Amino acid sequence: MKIKELNESKTPIVKITKRLEKYKSKVVFEQKLQEANRILERVGLPENKR
Amino acid sequence: MKSKKYLLESEASLTVFEFNSEGLNGIVPKMVEYTETNIPGVFNLGFGDKNLETGEIDDKAVTNNGDSQKVLTTVASSIYAFTSKYPDVWIFATGSTQARTRLYRIGITTNLLEIQDDFEIYGLNEDRWQIFQKGVVYDAFLIKRKSIKL
Repeated sequence: MKIKELNESKTPIVKITKRLEKYKSKVVFEQKLQEANRILERVGLPENKR
Repeated sequence: MKSKKYLLESEASLTVFEFNSEGLNGIVPKMVEYTETNIPGVFNLGFGDKNLETGEIDDKAVTNNGDSQKVLTTVASSIYAFTSKYPDVWIFATGSTQARTRLYRIGITTNLLEIQDDFEIYGLNEDRWQIFQKGVVYDAFLIKRKSIKL
């Protein structure tokens, strides 16, 4: 795929690498996840989507 | 999201992404991670800089690499990749600072029509989810891929 096509496509080309496998079992953004859980526990999902 | 974006790398499950910001301060590796919250099917979007020396991730770093639009577009493109593999999930996103949440809101506002073609998008205002509207300040965002039209 040419650079122009890459830039114009909505769904990106993703290069799969084993180098990132080590992060699969980790929560890298622990604080953000905790904050998300706090907010979601309080407000849930949109009313028509529960 | 047809703006310029960086090439994404991921592992096979497409839950962890990495790309390199290239700008005024050189190459800065960035990481995006989708982690399931306590509500099954709802994933938190985490995003931050990767320190090359320590390998640690900092989601409050301000890189000032002069490419914030391209970085934001790349993060948005990871949402397309993630929801192509997991089309039924919800994605929760909020900035690590108010300034970053504002940046997300501006990015969504700028591309709203295009985003709404493919996603349902809600903003959290005064502890209530509402359909995203321009000009409203939100504390967080919730995104879901619309069903693929056949």
